[in-house]
Amino acid sequence: MDQEIQLPEKAAGPKTRIPLKIEEAAAAACIGILALITFANVVVRYLTNISFAFTEEFSVFLMVVMCLVGSSSVMAKGGHLNISYLVEKLPGGPAYVVRLAATLMVCITFLGLVVLGARMAYDEYRYEVTSPGLGLPTWIYTVWLPILSMAIFGRVMGVMIRLLRGGR
Amino acid sequence: MHPAVLLFGLFFLLMFAGVPIAASLGLAGTLVIAVTGLGIMAVPTNVYAGIAKYPLLAVPMFVLAGAIFDRSGVAARLLRFTTAIIGQGRGSLAVITIVVAMIIGGISGSGPACTAAVGGVMLGAMMRAGYPPGFAAAVTAAAGSTDILIPPSVAFIIYSVLVPSATVPALFAAGILPGILACLALSLPALLLSLRYGFGAQAAKQPKPPFWRSFKEAFWALMAPVLILGGMRTGWFTPTEAAVMAVVYGLVVGFLVYRSLTLKDLYQILVESAETSAVILLVVGLASVFAWASSTLGIVDPIAKGLVRLGGGELGVIMIIMLFLVVVGMFLDGISIFLIFLPLFVPIAQGFNWNLVWFGVLMTYNIAMGQFTPPMAVNLMVSCRLSGASMESTIKWDLWLLLSMFFGLVLIVLYPPLVLWVPEVLGFR
Repeated sequence: MDQEIQLPEKAAGPKTRIPLKIEEAAAAACIGILALITFANVVVRYLTNISFAFTEEFSVFLMVVMCLVGSSSVMAKGGHLNISYLVEKLPGGPAYVVRLAATLMVCITFLGLVVLGARMAYDEYRYEVTSPGLGLPTWIYTVWLPILSMAIFGRVMGVMIRLLRGGR
Repeated sequence: MHPAVLLFGLFFLLMFAGVPIAASLGLAGTLVIAVTGLGIMAVPTNVYAGIAKYPLLAVPMFVLAGAIFDRSGVAARLLRFTTAIIGQGRGSLAVITIVVAMIIGGISGSGPACTAAVGGVMLGAMMRAGYPPGFAAAVTAAAGSTDILIPPSVAFIIYSVLVPSATVPALFAAGILPGILACLALSLPALLLSLRYGFGAQAAKQPKPPFWRSFKEAFWALMAPVLILGGMRTGWFTPTEAAVMAVVYGLVVGFLVYRSLTLKDLYQILVESAETSAVILLVVGLASVFAWASSTLGIVDPIAKGLVRLGGGELGVIMIIMLFLVVVGMFLDGISIFLIFLPLFVPIAQGFNWNLVWFGVLMTYNIAMGQFTPPMAVNLMVSCRLSGASMESTIKWDLWLLLSMFFGLVLIVLYPPLVLWVPEVLGFR
């Protein structure tokens, strides 16, 4: 019983022209900073009476960035939760068509987020909406939704290109 | 076509075509909002606001803590300690699989991920010891599905975000007894079947690890749940803070006590846990579009009323809900189920004055059962793929495990203190 228990090595992911390391490092930095801020919060609160609560706004923003950036690298690795059972039961030809169609649907989803997210950020910029916590203009947070959705969209396009190149 | 039919129909169509669940939810929601003219700008607003919630910060923090505990060899020491207690006789590997899944599970909040993690080690060990692949796959799938009951469970955190009156500490505490119950409910048939058919007799000749030494090694790991639950009990920490304390504790144990972690490991841990959390949070974000569409269409109320009007009273309604959850649990993970169906069920539960903590645990227990109910069960698919067993070969064993889990469920439904006693004693409301 000397075996180590560990998660099976996650698939290293396909060869991509733009290295996945970019998103991986960014996501790792986000979660690391999140842990540091939260820990600092606890320490500061127990040692002093100073409330660190204004960091909440920033933490929450970092979490959104981590989600989108991490989703981008996971997209290339095919790691998002999905049900492949039925598609795998299909014979090769139809299965290939369904895979292409499914990938196209994911493309549309994130393209939609790019366009609509950009409109949301622009609206907030136009109407000079400010955040309740730090009083910063909110568009500097929300503008990352379309930008990072663009990154995810790019990764889906990569999946699509590899599917088309690989044929069935 | 009624927009509600379109919404759910599109979602299921996309999902069964292999579109990731997050994208299926987001796209179905977006299209229905666009078609019905409910205000398309609700889409980006809901995605952003759905993720940007402070209580959700507990998710990446617990995932990070879990990854650190995994990598620092804490889990391996727990496994050795479990073996020291249980021994190496017939059926012991099956029981150890279940216990280990309980201990290291719950972190990812996803049954399939836990099945893959536990199965990666235990399936091979079981098959080498002479367990038939179908049996090993069934036990691993069942073990991996029940981990969402054991604190710290990400599924409970999501439930609490959606149902704020059920606090995270209360849910964590409430999950303890049902979690142990599920563990016993699975171990008993696994053990009896092994004894009956003589599975794992070869492994019995190996010596047991010494009890005290393995206890000493596992001591630091055993203290972690005390720290997490104890910290929340005394009101020192919020769930997010308790998670970050677990992170710090895991780092101290990994770097200073066991000296098993390196900085390179740490980077890998950060990447993995950020990506795991991203997968969960993306589902949360895009599911809020779906949930917004379904609540704005006003389909919740008629369905809830219809369910109540079906008759059968309180017990009838709860049986319908449970059956439904087992069925959707066959193909959806717990978190997605909560996000999609809680807005529907919570008003019903409130109508009957059910305790929402009890209801959350009950829902989770049902979802866990669904995750290893053949023929569609996600967890069985994972364990079958890892072990090379066919789905058909698992069914014979799986049904015994399900039957036993079902008795546990009956106990929880008929005797709510089984869920509510621990939070009561600990003073969580």
